[in-house]
Amino acid sequence: MSEFKELNIVLTGVGGQGTIAMSEVLGKAAVLDGFKVRGSEVLGMAQRGGAVITYLRLGKEVYGPMVPEGKADVMIAMEPSEALRNLRFLSKDTIVVVGMRSIVPPSVSLGLSKYPDVEDVIKKLKELSNNVITIDPYKLATEAGDAIAANMVMLGALAGTGKLPIKVESLKQAIRERFKGKVVEVNLKAFDLGYSYIKEALKRKT
Amino acid sequence: MVSELLKDVPGERLFLLGNEAIARGALEGGVQVAAAYPGTPSSEILMTLASIAKDAGIYVEWSTNEKVALEVALAASICGLRAMCSMKHVGLNVAHDPFVTAGYIGAKGGFVVVSADDPWAWSSQNEQDNRWVAKQAYIPVLEPSDVQEAKDMMAAAFNLSEQFNHVFMLRSVTRIGHARGDVTLGPLFKEKRKGVFKKDPSWLTYVPATARKNRPLMIQRLEKIKKAVNGWPFNKLDLVDGAKLGIIASGLSYAYAIEAVKWLGLEGKVSMLKIGTTHPIPEELTKKLLSSVEEVLVIEELEPFVELHVKALACEEDIKVKVHGKDLIPVIGELSTRIAVEAIAKLTGTPTPVDFSMLDKVSSEVAPILPFRPPIMCPGCPHRASFYAIKVAAQRVIKSYGEGVEPIYPGDIGCYTLAFQPPLSTVDTTICMGGSIGIANGLAHVVNAPIIPCLGDSTFFHAGIPPLINAVYNKAKITVVVLDNLTTAMTGFQPHPGTGLTAMGDSTVRLKPEDVARGCGVEFVEVADPYDVKKAIDIMVKALKFEGPSLVVMRRLCALEALRQKRKKGEKIVPYTIDQEKCKKCDVCVKMFACPSIVKTGDTYTIDPITCVGCGVCAQICPYKAIIPLEEG
Repeated sequence: MSEFKELNIVLTGVGGQGTIAMSEVLGKAAVLDGFKVRGSEVLGMAQRGGAVITYLRLGKEVYGPMVPEGKADVMIAMEPSEALRNLRFLSKDTIVVVGMRSIVPPSVSLGLSKYPDVEDVIKKLKELSNNVITIDPYKLATEAGDAIAANMVMLGALAGTGKLPIKVESLKQAIRERFKGKVVEVNLKAFDLGYSYIKEALKRKT
Repeated sequence: MVSELLKDVPGERLFLLGNEAIARGALEGGVQVAAAYPGTPSSEILMTLASIAKDAGIYVEWSTNEKVALEVALAASICGLRAMCSMKHVGLNVAHDPFVTAGYIGAKGGFVVVSADDPWAWSSQNEQDNRWVAKQAYIPVLEPSDVQEAKDMMAAAFNLSEQFNHVFMLRSVTRIGHARGDVTLGPLFKEKRKGVFKKDPSWLTYVPATARKNRPLMIQRLEKIKKAVNGWPFNKLDLVDGAKLGIIASGLSYAYAIEAVKWLGLEGKVSMLKIGTTHPIPEELTKKLLSSVEEVLVIEELEPFVELHVKALACEEDIKVKVHGKDLIPVIGELSTRIAVEAIAKLTGTPTPVDFSMLDKVSSEVAPILPFRPPIMCPGCPHRASFYAIKVAAQRVIKSYGEGVEPIYPGDIGCYTLAFQPPLSTVDTTICMGGSIGIANGLAHVVNAPIIPCLGDSTFFHAGIPPLINAVYNKAKITVVVLDNLTTAMTGFQPHPGTGLTAMGDSTVRLKPEDVARGCGVEFVEVADPYDVKKAIDIMVKALKFEGPSLVVMRRLCALEALRQKRKKGEKIVPYTIDQEKCKKCDVCVKMFACPSIVKTGDTYTIDPITCVGCGVCAQICPYKAIIPLEEG
């Protein structure tokens, strides 16, 4: 088993955006590459259209199923306000990849709460982390063939950060194992688009 | 994924959900009969076993409720087969009656009851800790610390159950069953047994004499187990010479505890006892720890179960040691590495590695600007349409009840419970499975209002029938609505008696709630399609006007399942859109219906074409016919 010590990933978004499928693919790939893996999610009632958070951790020093607060190496947020909701996992070094399509909950339409200005969200995230990257996963997923593949764009983005000790080929194999039929090709394409988008974005930064 | 679970390749590593790991453990432990009723966080255990049952040559069923599931498994054990049942924590309340007597019977074939507890009540009505339930039934409890151990303990539980002729409980929690991790496989159990029922009333027929004969035998079995647990691999004592603090952590809490100790840099400085057998606790190991340190911290989720036993032991053995537990560890909700870090830091005077109060401060600063995003019913959910129709119908009859009277909606357990939120607000009570009709029975005799208990199809079969009969028998004027979405949606689309399918995928008799209701003596029974709004309202009005108990079945396939089937068949999904010229901004679609696909920004109403499933219900509700299908191309 790999001697790699510890990597903590927080995946967040809105129920239905596919964070769980993302963590399944990640975990499968990590096991293929010989890592010890721990993670967790909440299913059932908590899942339906609500705020969701999924944890995936790898390395021989991880025990608990949840990423400890202040200890995330990477946060992948499928939705901007959900990144903000989970600030407590961040440190200055956390890489935060934010999907820029807002999902406005009915509570906002009903006037029971407000949706924040997305620019303010990014500003706040940048106060806490030195590595905030934005992406439009739905645009890239549509380009790949189906908006539903936005989660695989984000997974590609995660791989593109260079933070993952998992091989890209293992991630792709896990995608092939996790999905069936023509969805596989769309997902692989979505993955590639997310991957190159982040590579470019990081190049521009340095 | 699932077929991988039948691999007989010991040593191979798979990435599994905790509940899949428990299912694999059952296969390694030789399970031949498995029964369950779905409930978060336990459902995937039986779903996994069901999907491979035929290949594995085992019998798997979704039972109508947990009591039946436990009885099915108990019968198999009595006949010498290894058997299990799994349920969420509150499911054990339903199964409590046979569970307690099962303790008296013990086990012939290995018999394991899996209780999946839900600290923080993520998907439950309470935070019940079933270790107490097991204790009062003299049933030993194994508590895994991670996904690997969940698999290992499940496999071992069948062997131990046979070795000690006793029922065992595996206690999982949300962060075990719904955790994921790499699991190293063990060998599959190969032996297949044939069930043999041997008549033995002095063991199996619980008249008073049988209870009196078997109770001491049960107590003896538990005493034997109490001695043996000290040597089981699930308990582990790491004594550090000269350590002042000892940490006792049970089940999952051990993962938080060990991580906290390492993060604090206290490895090799504190003694640790990992407890995997929380009932009975390993007393010999505990005594060794207690007598070697000055202070002990017991880390466990929910109730101070281990803590009380540790304190009792210290007292009994006259060991001078200060035992901490719930004075530092919350009794409410889930634990975390942070909670363990803070408690240990406090006792040892070690600084925490992260300034948690800073993180709290930042989080509380942003809290006011975050949108409120609770779980909600999905776009196109037929329940939303049903509740709309029910509310409109109730308003039409309310006048006859006099001034200021409001309809009462006793609710139940399922996706539709989410309708307790505005704007629907049609779930006034949620207590337990089938509780909607039970509560309605009581209300009918004490208040004068339309009483409309609503429950799902699976819930109706689970616990809705006895209270329905009660309503007929005791003349309770209530209008029951069965929200029939033809599946058990909340827990992951399991079949039930109303679907015509068994767990193992065979077709079977399809029981319809309307036929059951007629059989129970309900005189007004009708079926409506909630997507046909006008008709559904008319049927509800008739039901509400009926003198005596009435029942309406609102039948329409779950929107998620329908979407899945459409995608599979390659059918086009045509979302709806709002004609901005026709829209009069009357707010009816939001104020009365609030499908999440309808978004109001400022005073502009739009429909999200990605999430809209094209059910068309909002188009029927719009008074200005401003909602129309989005033209293709």
